[in-house]
Amino acid sequence: MRLALYVTCLVDLMRPSVGFATLRLLEAAGCEVVMPEGQTCCGQPAWSAGDRPAAASLARKAVAELEGFDHVVIPSGSCTDQIRQVFPELLADDAAWAARARSLAERTHELSSFLVDVLHFSAPPAEFAGRVTYHDSCKGLRALGIKQQPRDLLLKVRGLSLTEMADCEECCGFGGAFSVQFGAVSTQIVDRKCASITATGADAVVGGDLGCLINIEGRMRRLGDRRTRVLHIAEVLADGSAP
Amino acid sequence: MSQAAPRSQAMFFKARAGEKVRNPVLQGALKKARPLFVGKRVKGMASLAEDGLDFAAMSAAAEEIRNRVLADLDVWLDIFEERARAGGAEVLWARDGDEIARLVVDIARQHGVRTVTKSKSMLSEEANLNAALAAAGIRPVETDLGEYIVQLAGEPPSHIIAPAVHKTIGEVEALFAREHGRPLEARTSADIPAMAREARAVLRQHFLAADMGISGANFLIAESGSAALVTNEGNGRMVTTLPRIHVVITGIEKLVPTLEDFATLMRLLPRSATGQSISNYVSLLTGTRREGDLDGPEKTLFILVDNGRANILGSPWQDMLRCIRCGACMNHCPVYFSLGGHAYGWIYPGPMGSVLTPLYTGLENALDLPHASTGCKQCASVCPVRIPLPSLMHGLREEQVKRRLRPWSERLALRAWAWLAGKPALYRWAMRRAARYLSWLADGRGAIQEFGLAPAWTAGRDLPVTANKTFHELYAARKRA
Repeated sequence: MRLALYVTCLVDLMRPSVGFATLRLLEAAGCEVVMPEGQTCCGQPAWSAGDRPAAASLARKAVAELEGFDHVVIPSGSCTDQIRQVFPELLADDAAWAARARSLAERTHELSSFLVDVLHFSAPPAEFAGRVTYHDSCKGLRALGIKQQPRDLLLKVRGLSLTEMADCEECCGFGGAFSVQFGAVSTQIVDRKCASITATGADAVVGGDLGCLINIEGRMRRLGDRRTRVLHIAEVLADGSAP
Repeated sequence: MSQAAPRSQAMFFKARAGEKVRNPVLQGALKKARPLFVGKRVKGMASLAEDGLDFAAMSAAAEEIRNRVLADLDVWLDIFEERARAGGAEVLWARDGDEIARLVVDIARQHGVRTVTKSKSMLSEEANLNAALAAAGIRPVETDLGEYIVQLAGEPPSHIIAPAVHKTIGEVEALFAREHGRPLEARTSADIPAMAREARAVLRQHFLAADMGISGANFLIAESGSAALVTNEGNGRMVTTLPRIHVVITGIEKLVPTLEDFATLMRLLPRSATGQSISNYVSLLTGTRREGDLDGPEKTLFILVDNGRANILGSPWQDMLRCIRCGACMNHCPVYFSLGGHAYGWIYPGPMGSVLTPLYTGLENALDLPHASTGCKQCASVCPVRIPLPSLMHGLREEQVKRRLRPWSERLALRAWAWLAGKPALYRWAMRRAARYLSWLADGRGAIQEFGLAPAWTAGRDLPVTANKTFHELYAARKRA
């Protein structure tokens, strides 16, 4: 099985450790992982802003560089949603690309869902002495139906216990450009999320989307919480050490 | 939009949002209300399951009913008009809010009406009807408790089914003390029943004295020519049966073909709105008082309103016309519950408002609203008629770009970024520079506290920075090693 890892632009720039953790994890699951050379960004920011031509052009670029693999794995529900649901819609009227976009969409997976649903993998090579709580990111949960997969995997980590926070399915207020365009509103929303996390007393909050995590971590630190760790699920499952 | 209709303030969403976030009284009220709304729907869905019904299947059926009506709306309207007339009602048509106001004032004058009682109607908000009636020397009295409160406060409703959700008990007490001419008292939530009784006693006199009642309609039923009214306080019945004249104001899209269809929608409406398996009152109002009837109006008039709806028919936004005004989308919206409804600047708040306001008042007059969403899709997941609200908001964003309504700086930044993302080698170089720059700004502290390029981000948050090299850079180095 030839597997492409699409690390996402946010991981590339903001937290490379998530990319390496994903790589280690997939290799531990027995995959041969290829890093497609030209990958940049799936174009979601352009799409969200309503710039269809720019989004379509980046979608074509991503389809071309990823379609040659059996599967594409992404450590993000948000970017996976862009490829799985948005690309086929975006390129539907483009005769040369519509079928290619649909085919890629079917073979593109969010990390935890790939491990559980495709590989039936259940032995993350990790240990975590502590209690975590899981934040369901919106696109992963409501667009892709990812709910149980990350929890199943986390519970397989030695020493880890899971405590659900209140309203774990509530948005963290990130929303990409939303958090900058409507910063004050976004802060108001993430405050509720931080309060739910803090109330669990967990040692770490874990999520599957770096955007949400940067938002949550940024607010927690600003509020003075230096204790609660904010971790991507790949970091926890792959033992999370830096590259 | 002309003078009489309420002027939209939707252009000022961002500024108003800032004010609302900084208002601790409002924030307190919203913080209390949110879990109640969410909890009520959870209960409603549980009662649906107890009845052996499945939300997905029911909402698919509801969607089908609404689509069936919209596909042949003109035909259903003709049928409704004919049946309503056969029952003794008059049917009038209004093109916009001004025309609603003019028709209602004319009817009132013609029949020597001095006071009007009103049951909750968002359509009357589209007409700014209370102001028009007052200007004509007619006193309108809102009789839904929440509407009564916001009328006393001189404010528009902030929620389509809970108009005073933004008010605290203390604020309501102050309004009641002033209006009812009594000293201010210390109130807690335990006093709510007493305060409701107090309002009830005042409203009772208005119910008995009113010459004309104005209500909305949750649905119009084509086969019977009836208006269906879904209420909890009983005020709807007083308004529609006691006065000699009853005016129903409703949008042309509120039609359903049959009573059977109405029954299907009623399985979902109260459950989605308040979590009740059925509301306290469900009234089917057909025609006028007949021989031998003990009550009922001598005259019933329907005012069927377009006000932008016909333009949406057959457009890419037609799905929005399925809306049955349950409020579930706003009750589950993180943005709505950070701000309350007034921030949205026009009549309809929350996700449904973020679609309707630009469509009814003009895309260029509500530029922020389609963007006032985190993209969380909660609204779509709770909508009982499966309106793809996130897709509709997204479509409006695309329309803004197409019509060049976005700020040039935003367009330029996006285009430059998209161009860069299309050139991998250059993009890699730029990201390497960006990583160095962010790391330099973080200066060993692990985060940036003040970021000049995105001050809105660091106004409320740190920007965590963990590395000074990009993933691709580190990966390439590792492969070489």
